[in-house]
Amino acid sequence: MNDERWLLPAGIDEVLPSEAAELERLRRALLDLYATWGYELVIPPFIDYLESLLTGTGHDLDLKTFKLTDQVSGRLLGVRADMTPQVARIDAHHFRREAPNRLCYLGTVLQTRSDGFAGSRSPMQIGAEIYGHDGVESDVEVLRLLLATLRTAGIDNAYIDLGHVGVFRGLARQAGLDRTQEMALFEALQRKAGAEIELLIGQFDLPADIGAMLLGLADLNGEDALERARTVLSNADAAVQAALARLQAVANETRRWQPELPIHFDLAELRGYTYKTGVVFAAFVPGWGLEIGRGGRYDDIGRVFGRARPAVGFSSDVKGLIALANGASPPADAPGPVLAPWDVDPRLQAVVDALRAGGRCVIRELPGEAPSQTCSERLELVDGQWQLCPCAVPDA
Amino acid sequence: MGTDETLTIALSKGRIFEQAMPLLAAADIRALDDPERSRKLILDTSDPRVKLVIIRASDVPTYVQYGAADLGVAGKDVLLEHGGEGLYEPLDLRIARCRMMVAGKPDPGLAMHPGRRRLRRIATKYVRCAERHFAAKGEQVEIIKLYGSMELAPLVGLSDLIVDLVESGNTLKANGLVPLEHICDISSRLIVNKAAWKMKHARVNDLLQALRGAVASSVPAAAD
Repeated sequence: MNDERWLLPAGIDEVLPSEAAELERLRRALLDLYATWGYELVIPPFIDYLESLLTGTGHDLDLKTFKLTDQVSGRLLGVRADMTPQVARIDAHHFRREAPNRLCYLGTVLQTRSDGFAGSRSPMQIGAEIYGHDGVESDVEVLRLLLATLRTAGIDNAYIDLGHVGVFRGLARQAGLDRTQEMALFEALQRKAGAEIELLIGQFDLPADIGAMLLGLADLNGEDALERARTVLSNADAAVQAALARLQAVANETRRWQPELPIHFDLAELRGYTYKTGVVFAAFVPGWGLEIGRGGRYDDIGRVFGRARPAVGFSSDVKGLIALANGASPPADAPGPVLAPWDVDPRLQAVVDALRAGGRCVIRELPGEAPSQTCSERLELVDGQWQLCPCAVPDA
Repeated sequence: MGTDETLTIALSKGRIFEQAMPLLAAADIRALDDPERSRKLILDTSDPRVKLVIIRASDVPTYVQYGAADLGVAGKDVLLEHGGEGLYEPLDLRIARCRMMVAGKPDPGLAMHPGRRRLRRIATKYVRCAERHFAAKGEQVEIIKLYGSMELAPLVGLSDLIVDLVESGNTLKANGLVPLEHICDISSRLIVNKAAWKMKHARVNDLLQALRGAVASSVPAAAD
């Protein structure tokens, strides 16, 4: 073991120069993008009291969070595994304004177990949220910003999966399911495990029409799912009908902006069911078996922090985006580095400073050492002046 | 949309392959090679847009979860051990049926009365199933993970009981063991990658409906 000090823990990675440069380009491009949409950047802490990290988010996040004891307060701390609750706290606690608040964030999160992207346990989470507005408009804005995020990363063939947790929640309430029954059925629905769903609904001993609606939910997916839902769920109560109408409105509005976007409805896909309250969505890319971005509405998450507000947002993983972009984000069109010889001449230093101020990369030669990067130009003293001369570049 | 994309189906050799092929034939998918005779791991089928990959049974959920295969056929036993996360399992194919059971020596005293001081030792390949079963009964047990020939463990004193799949019960009988508790019925499920379900929905759904029809019309094999 002692001979393997270079070895990294499972799911932890280090990013080397060319990929790091790409990552940083995308990071900046995304933050610039969000700024132009009016999203203000916040930087929540890496480590936090466990109870505020886990508030209202359910059991999954608890399992995913690394924990340690604070030697100062004696309380349990967690390393954030998801930044969304932290950003919700910032909105609830620090902003007293009633107007909608647009926030974005970016940072490394740490997860005890991986849930995607090549088994990484340290994704670089990026996301944006709107607080204080409940409506189709904010649902669609966030969805569009997710698509703009993917496009910025060079991904323009995404599929969107759309659902609404209110449909299942409404049906479960109409059926009078208790919490245990609801979660058992939810769990089977997430796997579309037809045989088990049928078995459970049989055990619950429900009236025939509500049983049939719950059973039908597992098949309500595909491009035409909403049309079919109108017949299959025609006896559902007003809350379910409202959820279906909202979903239809979000899809219509999104199609208006992006008619080509493939939208797949799935009324049984309930990501984050325990804390989501409305529309939920995820983005997929052909050839990749896992979702690359997700989001939805989670009104009221701020309640425990002092203020319940409507909230909708999305998040993705910058490292995952880079992996999928396949080098599609164009490399900066900058000229290569300049090599400056080791020389104490103050005129040389002035030229170097001027070049650097103009954004050029200037590498000072260290005595006797060639730099590891290939330089395209070299500063040479010609006629008493330091001038840029092309380097003899070896033919590739 | 995307009707010319390839669908990849993951299958394991042996019983699951043999019993799944007649069902796939209902969707006009026939293997062009026999995995028992060919060393190929990717088999072409009569449908040029469908490929079969032949892998170990316990690897099938992993391939499908990460999208290396769009669909697969996996035993419920394998899915219970895998956890089934990130997968859809929309159809019970009702093939490769058996039962997950607790078995041991025909010594009811040991088997029925958990009032001893020492924890009972359970040898099994199905660690999660065994843990869940005994936890649900309120019994703390010690679990020993084995990879095969579980029947040997109680005979040589490695364990008190085993948790294993029982089909006919002949292997148990031949080793002087008896089935003691029924944990659950096992059969093979069609499993589907989530992204494939969304992005190749029309094709996946056509295949699902064809298989559903084939399962419904096949005479349900008597559960041993």
